[in-house]
Amino acid sequence: MRKHIAKLSKGIDAINTALGQFVAYATFLMAIIMFAIVVLRYGFNLGWIAMQESVTYLHAAVFLLGSAFTYQQNAHVRVDVFYRQFSERKKAWVNLIGSLIFMLPVSLYIGIICFEYVIDSWALLEGSREPGGLPFVYVLKSFLLVFATSMVLQALSDIAKQALSLRELG
Amino acid sequence: MEWLSLVLFAAVCLTLLFGYPVALTLAGVSLIFAGMGAALGVFDANYLLTAPSRLFGIVSNTTLIAVPLFVFMGVVLERSKIAEDLLISMSAVLGKFKSGLGVSVILVGMLLAASTGIVGATVVTMGLLSLPTMLKRGYSPELASGTICATGTLGQIIPPSIALVLLGDVLSSAYQKAQLDMGIFSPDSVSVGDLFVGALVPGLILVICYLLYLWGVSAFSAKQVPVEGQKNEHASLAALLNALLPPLILIIAVLGSILFGFATPTEAAGVGAVGALILAGAKKQLGKDNIRYVVQETTKVTCMVFLILIGASIFSLVFRGFGGEILLKDFFTSLPGGVFTAMLLVMFIIFLLGFILDFIEITFVVVPIVAPILIIMGVDPIWLGIMIAVNLQTSFLTPPFGFALFYLRGVASDLVKTEQIYKGVIPFILIQLGVLVLMAIWPSLVTWLPDTMYN
Amino acid sequence: CSKSDQASQPNNDVSAQPDKIYKWKLVTSWPKNFPGLGKAPETFATYVNEMSGGRLQITVYGAGELVPGFEVFNAVSSGSAEMGHAGAYYWKGKIPAAPIFSAIPFGMNVTEMNAWLHYGDGLKLWRELYAPFGVIPFAGGSTGVQMAGWFKKEINSVEDLQGLKMRIPGLGGEVFKQVGGLPVTLTGGEIFTSLQTGAIDATEWVGPYNDRSFGLHKAANYYYHSGWHEPGTTLEFIVNEEAFNALPGDLQKIVEVATRAVNQDMLDEYTAANHKALQQLVEEDSIEVRPLPDDVLAALKTATEQVIAQARNEDEDFDRIYASYEDFYKKVKRYHALSEQAYYNNR
Ligand code: NA
Ligand code: NA
Repeated sequence: MRKHIAKLSKGIDAINTALGQFVAYATFLMAIIMFAIVVLRYGFNLGWIAMQESVTYLHAAVFLLGSAFTYQQNAHVRVDVFYRQFSERKKAWVNLIGSLIFMLPVSLYIGIICFEYVIDSWALLEGSREPGGLPFVYVLKSFLLVFATSMVLQALSDIAKQALSLRELG
Repeated sequence: MEWLSLVLFAAVCLTLLFGYPVALTLAGVSLIFAGMGAALGVFDANYLLTAPSRLFGIVSNTTLIAVPLFVFMGVVLERSKIAEDLLISMSAVLGKFKSGLGVSVILVGMLLAASTGIVGATVVTMGLLSLPTMLKRGYSPELASGTICATGTLGQIIPPSIALVLLGDVLSSAYQKAQLDMGIFSPDSVSVGDLFVGALVPGLILVICYLLYLWGVSAFSAKQVPVEGQKNEHASLAALLNALLPPLILIIAVLGSILFGFATPTEAAGVGAVGALILAGAKKQLGKDNIRYVVQETTKVTCMVFLILIGASIFSLVFRGFGGEILLKDFFTSLPGGVFTAMLLVMFIIFLLGFILDFIEITFVVVPIVAPILIIMGVDPIWLGIMIAVNLQTSFLTPPFGFALFYLRGVASDLVKTEQIYKGVIPFILIQLGVLVLMAIWPSLVTWLPDTMYN
Repeated sequence: CSKSDQASQPNNDVSAQPDKIYKWKLVTSWPKNFPGLGKAPETFATYVNEMSGGRLQITVYGAGELVPGFEVFNAVSSGSAEMGHAGAYYWKGKIPAAPIFSAIPFGMNVTEMNAWLHYGDGLKLWRELYAPFGVIPFAGGSTGVQMAGWFKKEINSVEDLQGLKMRIPGLGGEVFKQVGGLPVTLTGGEIFTSLQTGAIDATEWVGPYNDRSFGLHKAANYYYHSGWHEPGTTLEFIVNEEAFNALPGDLQKIVEVATRAVNQDMLDEYTAANHKALQQLVEEDSIEVRPLPDDVLAALKTATEQVIAQARNEDEDFDRIYASYEDFYKKVKRYHALSEQAYYNNR
């Protein structure tokens, strides 16, 4: 049983790591496209609203799809005045309880509450409100669900990890 | 039951101290309060339905795109050691003075601050850029982190600043409303441009005060600042130019593309990011591994910043749902007479709110409530705007909840202890408060330049 | 008795309690207290609160307070807010035909729009269009004819529009692109700085009242008229259908009459405030106010026809509703040519 749980947690981590590391390259693309927008517009009087919007899409992908990876890498900021001095055991308790009563419900809440919002957008195949904009607003909105799902999974993985480490710490 | 909003506020503050990630604590505690409130019938659960729209608002906010791009620039500069070279060569230029590196950090930070108004991006960039170098060169962790946090938050004050743009937007409406309420039906206006010009003098005063403080420390407390003058034996002119020119070109490219109208501030961030890539490429620092490192670091920092925004958004939604904003409004409108008391109280409360709400929330939630009241009492709108901006900058610096501290903490890894950051910012907080007092005594520090330029 | 009465059958449902106090949230696309646009929902709330003797209490939320400005429709549709105040062209991504109910380049002015909406088929078509979303629209004020915008360069011919970088959203932007211009999207906060530094060459905004309070006269010198792209932008009040149906009949009527009152009130405010602001712009700020050259207007008009033909091709609703709009416009134009237009020339 314990083995299965550990395996599941590792699997989730692997998925979110892959997702985060993949989407990270979007930051590189963002920079290039943004620079190209400036050069094309001011150098050649060329511009497309869709190109401007593509940066927004990439930006959204980065922070919505990379957030679970960031959690797993322990890169979300803490007020660590006291936390820093806690024993491993205490830290594990903080994370276990935090993931259980904060991260899991918040991610579930976002997922559930965004579900209909995203489905509605798909039903209309919602496009840009700007003429010539990207016609994929429903994809953009779907990132919200990917965000929620990956965060729910990461919360479960973390709960498992902390519980197991608490057992090991005795 | 509005008092529950204050309980929520207190509960969030207390829970944050356990050390679970800030963003999730903000959102989690708020959600628990909302759930209990709804069960007890004192919270309108409909508020919770607005979350998708609010989240999508963050997703589609194009102003915030500057965050990952400036972070990207900072990480490239750090990874390719360009930043280190820049700081070292700058301090070589300033090496005749004691604390040349510190001065360089403040000046480089001022230049970076000028190009972005986003506290997160600037502090993070500065933290990545200069913290390791300063520590390596023997600066005390306190002084190093204090300097970086203070310089990083300057982004709000030194134009062009996104914070001032948002504030200008709201203040112009407040000014209009105040005048309409006073029966002036062809109202005067205050614009973002006025705020930009008004912020220049106070911004420079702050920079000068930071520099004076640094020199003071180096003169009286040798332990905190290394004696650098003798170390810079490589300071030949050619080597200097070699190290100094490329990064200067980059900063000029960012600022110049804004000031000469090639790009908006957001787009200029893209110019900076690609410029940094080109410089790194010229130094043969653009291998596969470096790029992977850069994009992953950028992603982590970006996610850290935006998850806080998401958490803050859920918190302020629940706070509003409990009637917290009505409570604030009632309080502000029943303030005891006298502009001085009113202003002081408003400043104090905005300072406290700066601990948990970000600039955008405060600008759009609090300022529209208090600004018309104060303007009717005779407060100059430009002065009010700059006072609020400097005040919030101070708030973002103040332990234990200042956002700038979180951001630095987030990128400082194990280089400095949290307590050292807290200790290091205290002198800068005092400087900030001093400048606030100066502006209160002589409002013309703010209003003189716009008055002169526009009339 | 107006046609809009059809929308609200008096509610004689027994479940509607006459003594119950209803509390509504009204979300808007404007900052709180935004001159003109932001005042309308406040006025509406005051009217309703007073007329209903406090039985229907409406709280107004500025853009971003509860939901962002562009999310007003979603909020009302999902019921997280009972009511909204916005502009129909913001929902183009969801409902391609929606822009017809705010502004069509070279289209009807405010008088004509109101006539088409309330005594033509306009409002009926509008309600049909929004019905699948559970949202009931009401006309929610108008800015009147807007201005063409603020330019840093003189516009003397179509040549001057080539590659001109202008913030101009919506159908107007599409038309502008057709004649060789470069429409750019910017957030509200970036507009002023971008114009000041020259990152854009021009921007449209609203009219003298809003433009001056936004400070645009400090960033550009040439103020061109008239607002060919927004000849009388109609705003909208939108109401969640369920919430509306849950109201007793008298409160429903109060909501409806209050929207009609505010629809007029906003125009009155704009007319009074715009001419004063224009005077200040000319006399105090030394702004050059100029008409767009005839050949520029002609080119824009031709491009507008192409853009609209394309929009009609792409969307059935757009085609059907525009047919009604066009029909009404043609007829009312004939009359207005010898009434309003002739009189303006005579006086
Ligand atoms: Na700035
Ligand atoms: Na307009």
